[in-house]
Order: sequence, then structure tokens, then C-alpha cells
Amino acid sequence: MLRKRLITVLTFNDGVLFRTKDFIPDYRYTLNFVDAWSVDEIVILDVTRPNQGKRENFYNVVRQFARKCFVPLAVGGGVRTLNDFKTLLGLGADKIIINTEAVKRPEFITEGAKSFGAQCVVVSIDAKKKDDGCYEVFTDFGRRSTGLSPDEWAKKAQEFGAGEIMINSIDKDGSLEGYDLELAKIVSNAVDIPVLICGGAGLWQHFVDGFNKGKASAVCTTNIYHFTESSIKSAKIYLKNNQIDVRI
Amino acid sequence: MIVIIDYGLGNLPSVAGAVEKVGFKPLISNKINDIEKAEKLILPGVGAFADGMKNLRELNLINMLNKIVLKEKKPILGICLGMQLMCKESYEFGHHTGLGWIDASVIRLNPKDKKLRVPHVGWDDLIQVKNSLLFNNIPKDALFYYVHSFHTKCNNKDIIFGECEYEEKFTSVIQQNNIYATQFHPEKSQLHGLNLLKNFLEKG
Repeated sequence: MLRKRLITVLTFNDGVLFRTKDFIPDYRYTLNFVDAWSVDEIVILDVTRPNQGKRENFYNVVRQFARKCFVPLAVGGGVRTLNDFKTLLGLGADKIIINTEAVKRPEFITEGAKSFGAQCVVVSIDAKKKDDGCYEVFTDFGRRSTGLSPDEWAKKAQEFGAGEIMINSIDKDGSLEGYDLELAKIVSNAVDIPVLICGGAGLWQHFVDGFNKGKASAVCTTNIYHFTESSIKSAKIYLKNNQIDVRI
Repeated sequence: MIVIIDYGLGNLPSVAGAVEKVGFKPLISNKINDIEKAEKLILPGVGAFADGMKNLRELNLINMLNKIVLKEKKPILGICLGMQLMCKESYEFGHHTGLGWIDASVIRLNPKDKKLRVPHVGWDDLIQVKNSLLFNNIPKDALFYYVHSFHTKCNNKDIIFGECEYEEKFTSVIQQNNIYATQFHPEKSQLHGLNLLKNFLEKG
């Protein structure tokens, strides 16, 4: 039986690991540390603002992770061209995460899927709840409103050839209050491809809720300080005790 | 020498990294000279079937591979798309002819239960249906990382050594003489994956 996945998301600013939201540098990780976890998959994102760092510094991060981590590696942030796909895959990424460029030009999803296979293309969606209770997709680090609803956009991304959807709640990101389960559910119900949910996990119970109520295929956590070597295993035991099939 | 065949569609650094990790020195190459000299070959692959065949053709590798694998019987391990390319045919976006070493067709996973999403992505079982040297030191409950929308339907059941279940059973490991293949990614399956790779490199 296919196990539910627990994914660690690491964000890098100019090659330095950062916690999301507060953008505080976090030097407490080492590569060996990451490799020792029983994490199912690793996502690394470049959150360097334009012209505020060297892309090469991020490439070095990707290269090091690829060499040391024998789990799937999804890489994103600033991917705009097929050449970016090629570069990151060449450095050892297994999947490429696209966001802003896909919103601008949905055919970019198709181009990526045609060249590298649908399983290689993860469409990341950042969404916020509006005052009227509806959700809207934002791009460019959550600054640009798009007028799209996340479920419709996810569906369209699937039609254009996405292999997986990664849905991130801008409101909950970094809050530790739990995932936006309503958002997770509407997106999961809209598509037939796997859905990864992000933003807000602070307790192990949040993972359980993400799977059961949010209908997620995978839950992501962006705050690595929850994950010392032993705690990821404990998190999985907690999931297993709550009837979620995970790899231990 | 272990040659990882570079036909433009592999996660080559990951495969090479895993080969190194288990103590072998890989060479990533698409040069006929290198492939000819290889003791063992790995045909990795991530991507679409038609592109894979097209690239192998354009690199003039098909005749060479046929000779090395079918006549000289050098051990070769196909991974994911690499496994699928070894088959007779594929129905991924149309109908395409494969290398034809394995009497099998590549067809889409099509679970009726819509909760089972496609692609089949994540950690799943390897049901060891027959003993294989690849399974040495691999526990029966070991999990491996899969990511695929298509699977290999074998006409010859004798070559099926491993299976996985996604509503219906599908083939996850093939062994036919010197030809070995896995639908999952050993290079992405941590300890058990590395062990499987090591088994192929040491004993295959």
C-alpha cells in the first residue's frame, strides 16, 4: 500500500537556510543531519529576491543535497525556463517546482512535462483567504494577486500536465496553528494527481488532520526545528498510531 | 567499469551518487567506446518513453546495446523509464516500439478507485515473488520509492521477481538472464535501495 509522505521543506536565501515567514537564518542544520532523518522526501526552495544573491550559491546547495540524500529531491524557486529545469535536474534534482511562471504561462507546465515527464513537474500554489471567505492564488512571494481560485487553478494545472500539486496557505505559513484544512480539501478534491500541503504545521496532530481532513497525499513542514533526528521518527510513530500508513 | 548510460533523460547525478556510495566508480557516458568496455551497465530514466527511444536512436546506441546485452550478455539494470524502454512496446502518448528485450507492454496505471491518484508517487512495497540476487539482505517489508504513471505488463510471468499493488498488482522487478529492472528508484530509496544497487553491482 502506498504510504503517506512526510516532506521537509527547506528554504534558502542566497544559499543559507532560512526559516520561512520571519526570514531568520538558521545554521543549526548540517547535511548529515538531514540525511539521517527518516524523511520521505526533501523540498528545497530558493527564496532569494531578484538581484540579492548569486544563483550559484543555491546551485551548490542542490548539488550537495543530491550527493548526500538518497531520497527524492524536489527543487524550486525562480524556475522560469526549460533551461532552469535542465540545470537543476543536472545538479541532481528529481522534481522541479514551478509557481509564478506557470501562472503567467500555463503552457510552461506542458513544456516541462513533455520534456521531462509529468512526474517531474510540481505546480506550487500559494493561496490566501479573502475577506469574503473565498480563496485566491497569489504569486511573487504572495505579493501579486491573480484573481484565480486555487481549486480551479489546480485543475487547470493538472490538465496542462502537472504531476503533483503543492498547496501552500500564505495565512498559515509559519503560524504553527495547523494547515488550512479547508483549502487543502478543496484543492485535493479538485484534482486526481497527488496533493502536497504546506504551511502551518506545528504539532504532529496537524499531520494527521492534513491527511484525514485535508485529504493530502503528503504533508510538508517548513520549520525544521521540529525535526531533530529522533523527532521525525516519533512523528511517524504518532501517525501510525493514528491509523495513517507511513514509512517508519 | 560501471557505465551509467546518458541518453539525456536520467537523474544521472543521483544514480552516480548512489553507485559511489556503495563503493563503485561510475562513468556517465553515451560514448560507444565506453559502453563497449563496461562490465556492467545502468539504464536510468526519468521522462517520457517516446523521447527516451528517440534519444537512444539519435545517439546510435540501439545496435550497440542490443549487441552488448543480448549477445555478450553483460549485466544491465534498468530503472523506471529505463525498465520500460527494455520492453517491446509502450502506450504512453500513442504507440511506440521499445528495445524489445523483454516481452512486455507498457500501459497506464488505471485504478478505478479515484482515491488512488496517478502518478503513483511515494514509498510502496516490493513484494518479493521469487528469490533474486537483487533481494539479498532486503527485508520482505522494505519500502521503495516509486514515481510513475505507466507500468510494465509482462507476457512472460517467469521473469516477474517483484510486484507492487496499486489496486491491481503490477510488476516492480524483472529479471531475465543478464537483464535486471526495477520500476522503483533504488537510488532514491535510502538504505534498501542502496543495498539493492549494491547487490546488482556485486553479484549481477
